[in-house]
Amino acid sequence: MNSRILALAAAGALMLIGTAFAQGQPATLVVPQTGEPKTLSPNMASDSHAFGPGSNVYSHLVALDWGIVKGTTAYGDLAESWTTSADGKAVTFKLHKNVKFHDGKPVTAHDVKFTYDTIIRKKYPSFVVLKNVREIAVADDHTVVLHLTDPETGFVPMLAQVSTWTAKIYPKHLWEGQDGFEGGPHLNAPIGSGPFKFVRWEKGGVVELEANPDYFRGRPKLDRLIYRPMADINVARAEFDAGRLHYLPYDYAPPLAEVPALKRNQNIKVVFTPSHFSRDIQLNLARPPLDKREVRLAIAHAIDREAMNKLAFNGLWTPAIHASVESQGEWINRSAKFPEHDKAKAEKLLDEAGLPRKADGWRFAVTVTPPNFVDCKAMMEVLVQQLRQVGINAKLEQFDQATWFRRQFEKNFDISCYFTRYGPDPDAFREHFATGGGRNFQSFSNKELDEIAAKASVSRDRAERKKAYDRIQEIVVSELPYINLFNEQKTTLLRAGWDGFNIEESGFDKSLTWFGFYAVKPPGR
Amino acid sequence: MRLRRYVLLRVLQFVPVTFVVIVLNFLLIHLAPGDISLLLAGENADPAYLALVREKFGLDKPFLEQLWRYLIQIGSGDLGLSFRSRQPVLDEILEKVPATLLLVGTSLTLSVAIGTWIGTWIARRPGSTLDSAVSFAAVALFSVPVFWFGLMLILLFTVEIPILPAMGMTSLDGPRSGPGYILDIARHMVLPVAALMTVSVGQYVRLARTSVADVLGEHFITTVRAIGFPERTVLHHYALRNALLPVVTVLGLQLGLVLTGAVLTETVFSWPGLGRMIYEAILARDTPVIMGAFIVMSLTVALASLITDLVYAALDPRVAL
Repeated sequence: MNSRILALAAAGALMLIGTAFAQGQPATLVVPQTGEPKTLSPNMASDSHAFGPGSNVYSHLVALDWGIVKGTTAYGDLAESWTTSADGKAVTFKLHKNVKFHDGKPVTAHDVKFTYDTIIRKKYPSFVVLKNVREIAVADDHTVVLHLTDPETGFVPMLAQVSTWTAKIYPKHLWEGQDGFEGGPHLNAPIGSGPFKFVRWEKGGVVELEANPDYFRGRPKLDRLIYRPMADINVARAEFDAGRLHYLPYDYAPPLAEVPALKRNQNIKVVFTPSHFSRDIQLNLARPPLDKREVRLAIAHAIDREAMNKLAFNGLWTPAIHASVESQGEWINRSAKFPEHDKAKAEKLLDEAGLPRKADGWRFAVTVTPPNFVDCKAMMEVLVQQLRQVGINAKLEQFDQATWFRRQFEKNFDISCYFTRYGPDPDAFREHFATGGGRNFQSFSNKELDEIAAKASVSRDRAERKKAYDRIQEIVVSELPYINLFNEQKTTLLRAGWDGFNIEESGFDKSLTWFGFYAVKPPGR
Repeated sequence: MRLRRYVLLRVLQFVPVTFVVIVLNFLLIHLAPGDISLLLAGENADPAYLALVREKFGLDKPFLEQLWRYLIQIGSGDLGLSFRSRQPVLDEILEKVPATLLLVGTSLTLSVAIGTWIGTWIARRPGSTLDSAVSFAAVALFSVPVFWFGLMLILLFTVEIPILPAMGMTSLDGPRSGPGYILDIARHMVLPVAALMTVSVGQYVRLARTSVADVLGEHFITTVRAIGFPERTVLHHYALRNALLPVVTVLGLQLGLVLTGAVLTETVFSWPGLGRMIYEAILARDTPVIMGAFIVMSLTVALASLITDLVYAALDPRVAL
C-alpha cells in the first residue's frame, strides 16, 4: 500500500517535471554557490559570492574572461576602444554611445569617473590597480582619460582583471548621495547596465536576475539567472545528477577519478579550462638548507611530475616544465626548462652539498604546507613521498586558508604549494620574483632580474619585453626560488545541449568577466 | 515570596555571565591563528594595501584596546558591523532567526512529543522484546551523524524517488503568500526536520523509558493501581508527570541550542538560518558576526536554563523551597 502511494507520488512528480520542460518555459540557469553574497555591491569588499550576480548586472570599462588562456588580455565592455599616449602616462577610453542603465538613464564618462574616484577615495579592493591613477578627466560624455602617475604597460590588462571582481561601473545619479558604495537603497537592489537585471534577493535563499531586453549588445539568450546557495558539494552533485542543475561550477569539481566515467555519459559535458596560474612549490630561501642552490636543484631533480600527475590527477593535468603556463603562448621561454626527474643526481647533489644520509637514513627535515585547495593537497601528498625517497624527511602540515596566508606573508614556511600568476600581463613576474615583490614569499633577490623587470614593466616595445621576460625565466629556472609543476586546470560539468559558458571556448571573449553568463546558450536557442 | 526571590536571583546572575561570555568569546577569536585582513583585502592585495585594511578595521590596534573598544560598543547595545557586508550584525542575526526557530523548534517539539510517547509506552514492560528492540533502535538513531543521514534522505527522496525538495525553504517559482506559501515551506521542511528529529528522538525515548519505568516501581503507583484507577490514568496522570523532570532538563539544554544547534543540517539542506550564517562567517573570519552570534547563543542558553529552572519549580514544588 505504502509503496503504491510512493510510486504514484513519484510518477506525479515526474509528470510535473516533464510538463514544465515541454511548455517552453523561460530558459533558466541555476548557478549553485557555496555561500550567500554578503551584499550585492561588489565594489566595496572582496566578497566571492557577490562576484557572480555583480558581474552580470553591472558593466565594466574593460573586461577579460577565460579567453585569456587564448591570449586575450583585455577587451572593451563599456569602452569601444582605447589609446595610450606616447609617454605611456595617459590612457584615453572611448565609450559605447547607446548604453543605458536599467533605469533608462544613459551611461556616460561621468559614471566611470565617479566610480573610479570613489574606489580610490575609499581605498576599496580595486585600489590595488587604480592606485597608479593620478587623475581622471572627462573629455566629453563618451571619452574618459585616466592619467597615470607612472607609465605601466600592463595597466589596462590589470584593470580588466580586477574588474572581473571589484571595479564595476555604478550609476552616478543613484549613488552620489552615499558615502561610498556601502549603503543606500541600491546596496542590495543593484541597478547596473549589464546584460541581466536584478529582480529579487530572498535573504538566505536565491538571487534572481532576468534578461535585460535593452542590453546594447542584444538581449541575452538566457531568460533568467538564479544564484542559489548550496554549501554541501555532495548535495549539489546529487542535484546535478538528478538533472535539476545544468551546470556544476568548478567549485564543486568531481574527483578526477570519476572523470572517465562521466565522459562516457552522453548527457554530460566535462569541460577542462586552463588558466594563467600554475600549481608549483615555493622554496623559502631564508631557511637553511633551502638557501643553497644545490639543495634546491636536488629537490627539482627529485620531483617526478608524471607520477604526480597519475597519482594526484588521474593523469588529467598538464605538467609544466617552463617558468610559465601554456596559456601564455609566445611569452613562454621554451628553452628555459626546470631540471628533469633524476633521483640519482638528486642524491649526489645532496651528498656534495654536505647533507649526507645520517644513521637514521634522513639528510634533513622540511615541512610542506599546501593552501586549502584540493589540487594542492593531492600534489603535496605525492611530493612528500618523492622527497622522502631521496632522504629528505618531508612532512605535510595543513592549515585553514587564513592561517596559511598569514604564514606565507610572514615567510614562515619551508616549502609551500603555490599558485603563481603569469598574466594577463607578464609584468606578473615582478610580483612573484622581484626583490620585495608583493608575493615574493621566498625572499628571492636577484639584482639582474630586478633591473630587467623594472624596465620591462614600462616598456612598450613588444620585442624588447619578450627578450626581458625570456631572460627572467632563465634566471628563475636556474636559481629555483620556485619549481613549477603543473598548468592549473579547472573541471566543470555541464548538461549536454548547454553551450557558451565562460569556461569553454564558445564563451571566450564574450562572457564579460570570469563570472559572466552573457554568452550562454540554453538548449534549442 | 520565596519563588519571587529565587527568580530575581536567577535573573541577576545574567549580568556577570554575559560579561564573562563576551570576554571569553573575544579571547577565543583573537587567540585563533590566521589573518582576517588577508581575507578582507582579497585576491590581489599587496602588503601596503593590507596595512591599510588593518588600519581601516582597527586590526592594527593593541589587543587590550580592541577588547576595551568592543566592550564599550557592546555595552551600548551595538554588536558592530559585519566586516564583509558592513551591515549591523544584529540585523543579520535577527533576519535569520525565524527560519532557524521554525526548523529547530518544529523538530524539537516533534521529537519530545513522539520520543516521550514511545518511551512511556515501552516502559510498561521493561525487558520485553519490544522494549529491547525499540531501545536498540533509539541508540542506533542517536548515534547516526546528522549530515550523513541528511544526505541519505536527499538521495532517497529527491534523486531516487523525487517527491520532496532537497534544499532551501521555498520553491523558485512557488507562491509568495497565502496557504500555498505555507504548504511550500512545509514541504521544504519535511526532510531537514526528519533528519534532525531522527537523531534527537532516540534520546527522549531512552530518557522517558528509564524514568517512567523507575516511577512505575514506586510504592505510590502500587497504591494508585490498588485503588483501581485505569492503567492509562496511572501511566499518564501519575507516572509520567513525576517522570517528566529529566525530560524537561534535557529539553531545557536543547532549547538553549535551538538557535544554533542545526549548523550541519542547515548546511546540508541549504536552510537559510543562523547555523549556516555562522558556518559561512567562520569560514570568512567575519569576527563581528561570529562574536555577535556567540553572544546571542550564550544568552539563549542562559535564558533556556532560567526557563528550565522555572518550569522545574512549577512541576516540582520542592525546588522553590
